[in-house]
Amino acid sequence: MWTRVNDIDRMVGAMDLFRSRMNRLFSDYDRFADQGKGWHFADGTPRTNFYDTGSQFEIRAEVPGLTKDDLNIKIQGNYLEVSGTRKPDAPEGYKAHRVERSAASFTRSFTLPSEVDAEKIEASLNEGILSLTLPKAEAAKPKLVTIH
Amino acid sequence: MSERTDIMKREESMLQRRRQIPTIAPVVDIFENDDNILLYADMPGVAKENIRVNVDNGKLFMSGVRNLKTPGAANWEEFGDVEYSRVFYVPQTIDVGKVNAELSDGVLRLHLPKSEAAKPRQIEIH
Repeated sequence: MWTRVNDIDRMVGAMDLFRSRMNRLFSDYDRFADQGKGWHFADGTPRTNFYDTGSQFEIRAEVPGLTKDDLNIKIQGNYLEVSGTRKPDAPEGYKAHRVERSAASFTRSFTLPSEVDAEKIEASLNEGILSLTLPKAEAAKPKLVTIH
Repeated sequence: MSERTDIMKREESMLQRRRQIPTIAPVVDIFENDDNILLYADMPGVAKENIRVNVDNGKLFMSGVRNLKTPGAANWEEFGDVEYSRVFYVPQTIDVGKVNAELSDGVLRLHLPKSEAAKPRQIEIH
């Protein structure tokens, strides 16, 4: 009946898929409550990604509809605070059929894993994504140890 | 709404299977006045060339694919590559030829003008 290994593989794959769907059944139901409205969580803070490249930290945050004037970034030692306000962009003289994009303000703070060079932090805003580059302080950078 | 066709779909080769990115519905605002319908959708991180907007047979399809570059090892990731996709029924009174779209700061703004015939008209009494 099973002439090809591929068929068995596919059947097992389908069973795995089914099991993971069943496991996720409940979390899928309250996914919307969990995710908040679109780009931010239920508590209003934007989603972020945090990367460590070795010599620097990289932070990305979803901030659609915010301009650079709407954002504030503060750094103190290894404490970073990003705050912002999204202004309502509803046009004048229009009747609203559906409003899912909320105007809100948020503050999100991070404790960085190590000290950073506050002078060399760079921030840029591109297509609704805020990118922060935080070079680590000299003492926190990885060093090559030579064996004598 | 559901993108779960993978249970039924036959995959000829495991090697050829591509990594699928999740599809989510973007949040939108819809506004209307006598002349226009405006539709604003949040699509952070989607490049202009990866957005498709089609109006076909009374339906407006919009889709935007986000490809993020990961600069290093992730300590945490709360968002990733995603396809924003949503379909709306639009009234036949929309002048399809004049629909325009702009993208700024991760927000897609669609401008759907109503055709002349569909605009409300004041009727004069003689």
